[in-house]
Amino acid sequence: MKRLAWLVAVALLGWAWLERQALADFPGILSAYSAKEYCSCRFVMGFDQAYCRGYVKQWLPLSSLEEDRQRRLVRATGLGQHNVATWQSAQAGCRLLP
Amino acid sequence: MKACLLALALALALALAVSSARAESWPIPDWQGDPASVDWQAVDSYAFPERSASQRNGIRSDALLIIRDGRILHERYAAPTTASTAHLTWSVSKSVLATVLGVAQGEGRFQLHDPVARFYPPMQAHPDVRLVDLLHWASGLVWQEDYEYAPVKSSVVAMLYTRGRNDMAGYTAAQRAAQKPGQQFLYSSGDSNVLAAALRGMLAAEAYADYPWQALFTPLGIDSAVWERDASGTFVGSSYLYLKARDLARIGLLMQREGRWRERQVLPASWVRFNRTPFSQARHLPGEANPGGHWWLNQPLAGSGLPWPDAPADTYAALGHWGQALYILPRHRLVIVRYGDDRDGSYSHNELLKRVLAALPKEEA
Repeated sequence: MKRLAWLVAVALLGWAWLERQALADFPGILSAYSAKEYCSCRFVMGFDQAYCRGYVKQWLPLSSLEEDRQRRLVRATGLGQHNVATWQSAQAGCRLLP
Repeated sequence: MKACLLALALALALALAVSSARAESWPIPDWQGDPASVDWQAVDSYAFPERSASQRNGIRSDALLIIRDGRILHERYAAPTTASTAHLTWSVSKSVLATVLGVAQGEGRFQLHDPVARFYPPMQAHPDVRLVDLLHWASGLVWQEDYEYAPVKSSVVAMLYTRGRNDMAGYTAAQRAAQKPGQQFLYSSGDSNVLAAALRGMLAAEAYADYPWQALFTPLGIDSAVWERDASGTFVGSSYLYLKARDLARIGLLMQREGRWRERQVLPASWVRFNRTPFSQARHLPGEANPGGHWWLNQPLAGSGLPWPDAPADTYAALGHWGQALYILPRHRLVIVRYGDDRDGSYSHNELLKRVLAALPKEEA
């Protein structure tokens, strides 16, 4: 039994090593997706705040999602990562800041 | 007598030309309605079932616009989307990008068999990939096209939101080759964004940002287009075009009329034929339309039936995530825009098309 647990642990570690880049990126997806798509929902498609919150909702919860309406800027935080999207222009819509 | 006959024939030909020009409707400046009375109950009950705001499941249409012969036959929206909403089209963007590229090809800016690296130097890492391969989603580059169900491994999520987001074409060009180019269809948003970067290389630096408007949107009278870019300034050709339903239908009408907008051949007719020609190396995937030149075809591939059995074989479409669609049914002179917010797989292209065709009088359907 103990040997099996070891084998599983080693296999998991091996997989994590192979997928280290994807796993390292994973926590950033939620806040980046939410900031970008919420920004476009609000300032490109022109929908209201409540609708856009529902629109970007995922199975993992965000810790915060705030908009600065004057600057058309959206900040999202989730899984310990933070991302900002801003509206650029009437033709170019929204984009994540680097 | 002979001269008289000739004059008569000429007059007849002219009268015919004038009457057919009059019969052809164009949305200039705005769409006209078709006064035909059609019972849309079976279409609307399928496309617009009652939807709950909290449970995002089932069929959730935001817009349905049916155009016949250049006139609006049916139009319906679900709040908060309205006729004036520039709605996200997701991967419908890819086919519109291909249409913009068609205009560039008509201007002699490239040939289908040109190497991509000629226009986009990072593709020198893959010198054998040609523009036609990207248009067939057959670059041969490693790619995993999954959205929210497999976010850890998804190339498209990494491209849009993490590692690739500042330079999406660069992210794609840095992938390794898994196949020889042109040999295998592998749906890739990365391929589409390399096309968007190649377009940039075909134009003067200052012309790129306005090119889709100058080449396509303005001539068609499209005033709602928003096309988002990555931090390097390249259009997110794969995903981020927004249009009013009535404006996407203008692109549909251009395609239905083989690239002609009134008297002007905006898009070469040969380009539309390329869009509508099945990629010979593709193999049929159950439930999926078949790839043509950056458009999706109902035309069957060898050894399989019609992807949408209740629609004619000449049906083709631009399709996007969450149920976005622009369908063109040339034989029925129909253009259909459907916007949605489908978060599951309930919606069926075939079922919608089947009900639309059933609603139309028999001589039309």
